[in-house]
Amino acid sequence: MRLARIRGYVTSTVKHPSFERCRLLIAQPVDLNDQPDGGPQVVLDPHGAALHEKVLICSDGSWARKYLEDERSPARWWVMGIVDPKPASESQPPSGSNSPAS
Amino acid sequence: MRIANVIGRVTLSVRHHSFRGERLLVVLPWGPKTGATGKDHDYSVVAYDELGAGVGQLVTISESTEATRPFERPTPCDAYVATIVDDVFFQAENPHAV
Repeated sequence: MRLARIRGYVTSTVKHPSFERCRLLIAQPVDLNDQPDGGPQVVLDPHGAALHEKVLICSDGSWARKYLEDERSPARWWVMGIVDPKPASESQPPSGSNSPAS
Repeated sequence: MRIANVIGRVTLSVRHHSFRGERLLVVLPWGPKTGATGKDHDYSVVAYDELGAGVGQLVTISESTEATRPFERPTPCDAYVATIVDDVFFQAENPHAV
């Protein structure tokens, strides 16, 4: 699972049939400082996430196939939850919070 | 699934027996900065295409074990063209952030 920000969406006519009537959002994985961390993923949106909202995305393709009710679907990433907004008093993360433990 | 630009095709005469009549595309997946700048793609991958995407189009590719799910019989595949993108809306930053 990864933290990500919803940065847009894609529209598509020619696609795998399992994606019919399905919202496909672009989720940009971010680090603790909200900086992009890896390439954007196209995700399923079972909860209705809003643009620029911070979300948790999950790569469990097995659940994605159940959600689309198609065992042949190539879907993989989906929005697992919407992260609570931070109170204004905690808007700055502590320094060095994203560096790996040495 | 990752968004990717189609930049070429691959044809094979000698290949795994499960491949028949397939199209293989060379695609450049978007990196962390590509949405904002149009540059700095991730390294290219070859993706299996059943939809008929062409060079210059934008597609989304499904990777890892999910790329094998659409096939009826076991097929070795780790990148599959899931959709051909008509239009993409991307905002690298929130213009209304406080």
